[in-house]
Amino acid sequence: MTTADPKSEALRAEVRAWIKANAPADWRAHMMGTGQDAFVAGQRAWFKKMVAAGYATPHWPKQWLGGGRSLAEQKVIYEEIARADAPRLILYFVSLYHAACTLIECGSQAQKDEYLPKILDGEIWCQGFSEPNAGSDLASLRTRGERRGDRYIINGQKIWSTMAQFADRCLLLARTGPSDPPQAGITYLLLDMKTKGVTVRPISQITGDDEFAEVFFDDVEVTVENLVGEEGNGWAVAQTTLASERGLTLVELNQRMRASLWRIIDVMRQTGADKDPAVQRDLGALIAKVDASCAVADRYLQRRIAGEEGAGDASIVKLIYSRTLRDFTKLGFHLSGLQGQYWSDFTRGGSQETGNWAVDFMNSYAWSIAGGSDEIQRNIISERMLMMPREPKNWKLTGDRP
Amino acid sequence: MSPELNELRDSARAVLSGAGVAADEARAWPSLVELGWLMVATPEESGGLGQGLAGACAIYTEMGRALATAPYTSAMLALDAVQQSAREDRDAWIERMMAGEYVAASLADASLTVSSGAVNGDMAAVPSADKATHFLVLSDAHIALVPREADGVTVNARQTWDKTRRLFDVGLNNAKLSPDLVLAEGAVAANLAERIRAHRDFALAADAVGGAASILDITVEYLKTRSQYGRPLAMFQALKHRCADLKAAATAAEALLFGALDRVEADTEVGALALLGKKAKHFACATYAAITEESVQLHGGIGMTSEHPCHLYLKRALLNQHLGRAGNYEVDIAAGALRG
Repeated sequence: MTTADPKSEALRAEVRAWIKANAPADWRAHMMGTGQDAFVAGQRAWFKKMVAAGYATPHWPKQWLGGGRSLAEQKVIYEEIARADAPRLILYFVSLYHAACTLIECGSQAQKDEYLPKILDGEIWCQGFSEPNAGSDLASLRTRGERRGDRYIINGQKIWSTMAQFADRCLLLARTGPSDPPQAGITYLLLDMKTKGVTVRPISQITGDDEFAEVFFDDVEVTVENLVGEEGNGWAVAQTTLASERGLTLVELNQRMRASLWRIIDVMRQTGADKDPAVQRDLGALIAKVDASCAVADRYLQRRIAGEEGAGDASIVKLIYSRTLRDFTKLGFHLSGLQGQYWSDFTRGGSQETGNWAVDFMNSYAWSIAGGSDEIQRNIISERMLMMPREPKNWKLTGDRP
Repeated sequence: MSPELNELRDSARAVLSGAGVAADEARAWPSLVELGWLMVATPEESGGLGQGLAGACAIYTEMGRALATAPYTSAMLALDAVQQSAREDRDAWIERMMAGEYVAASLADASLTVSSGAVNGDMAAVPSADKATHFLVLSDAHIALVPREADGVTVNARQTWDKTRRLFDVGLNNAKLSPDLVLAEGAVAANLAERIRAHRDFALAADAVGGAASILDITVEYLKTRSQYGRPLAMFQALKHRCADLKAAATAAEALLFGALDRVEADTEVGALALLGKKAKHFACATYAAITEESVQLHGGIGMTSEHPCHLYLKRALLNQHLGRAGNYEVDIAAGALRG
């Protein structure tokens, strides 16, 4: 039976009323075809309101505004934001989750005192993890951090850093020691993006957007006060960063996908495909799959709340979402026919549900590639959940075939 | 799941796995009667265990896992119809049925007509009809029980590829509806019939969820045991990734079913109930079929032999896809969204 506890329902009503009074109206229309500046300004204004209301930081400890919320309460807040189709705080995601959770769990008192209030004031963080030759195999990263006196000298390159062109600070993984095993010798640093020697170059995406950037480090100095945890223990700290969003994002994204099914129906009506039984079948199958993906994310969060999460559970949530999102955007794109092939502008910050099917379809790859690709999730599911043996670590090409 | 449901499911799993896959119906039926599984969904005030549809689905899932041969689903559908009727002798019937008197319901839709107090038409896919004392008849405006021995009732066994269930055609040729055995009429009957169809969808979904989990376990274990090229098949990424996709699909089917059951209350409106059931049935049965299809392939040659249980799952899964409602589930699901 549905467990709607009165406390959650009171919060739900409160959040719903607040969003109604405060969420930017018609933001999708306003963000249509805008440049990044307008997007950033819109995100800043919405962030400020969310922070003041305490809804940006429900997952922070109690002493912070709005903090100390249970996972169940956080879910309510996310569900309501998704339900109202209020903007996602994309620009602040790394700040609020990755940076904050890493600082709270692994940072020194001085680091927390320094950086957490600044996050609430709107400082933007980016993630400096992936490199051109260290994607899925993150531990093979090669950006060097050389200790000289009270500072590290950083040289190397990061890539796929979301919104790095707007970032004030960066969560940086650098190699400070030997790479055997590769996870050893990695150090976790906090970097001011205005430091001399940091160059950011936005990456032009297949959609025409530039949400990601490359970051280059040329003799960049970071003082040891900005070391998180111990030197060489960065891999463990990075796991904290990656675990920080705890399934909530996928609950929200699934809800948004479900709430956007009307867009498929809309394009069916526009093209007359709503009368076509073959397309009706596609729609019916998609609706069931979207519901299933939502149910997987919901149940995962319930299990987390109950402390019953198992190895691989999170991978299933992400894999099902990414495949369903691909199906969803692919069907919409296909149904939009020749019209869908003509270029049109899109809603910046509209995630995967802008209604510009070409853009939504192309953006769906963000979820099957970023944050652990589908292939990595399949490795995790098969090896840690189904307990199928890992592939041998060492391999050599034999025979005459390259 | 409540602790009671968990306990029930665990004990059912233990009993059924002890009996083995596709265990003999003649022994399975008395055993399930004795264990009280027919009492699971019946409210406590009628002498049942009060676990509702979710409780029934916990057992269906375990039965699916074990490829159970006994006509449990069919019996439960008939029990549900009797339970929801307003007949005065309802509880007496419930008592008889929970004690093992088998009243059979069809696992497929039938188009039956009632005129001058008699019913005409054919019911397909009635499990173990030869063991039934009565059949549950659902028509537009009448829900009734018809004795197997009544005039105008014919029972014909059908050979199915699925050997884990025995299906019969039941012909009704001017079979008289006895007023003593009418459960509902008019609009009440139409509403009740839709509830029974929804129950049947949930039952088929649960059977599929259990079967899918079971055959996936069997397949993964097989891949771990069989070696070629000097390594277990389970080490090959090409196979691991397929298994991971199947695991994700099985998890999604289970989540959709149990998430839907969490939403079902005694007073859930019939249209909403039906839609939840259709989605769960479509998704679970499609997933079960896809997983069994892959499982034969992943077993290689042994999967094509009758001595390996792979084919039993495959055939049950494919039959499940075609049981349930007439028409197309996906189109039905879409129709609701297109109307809205």
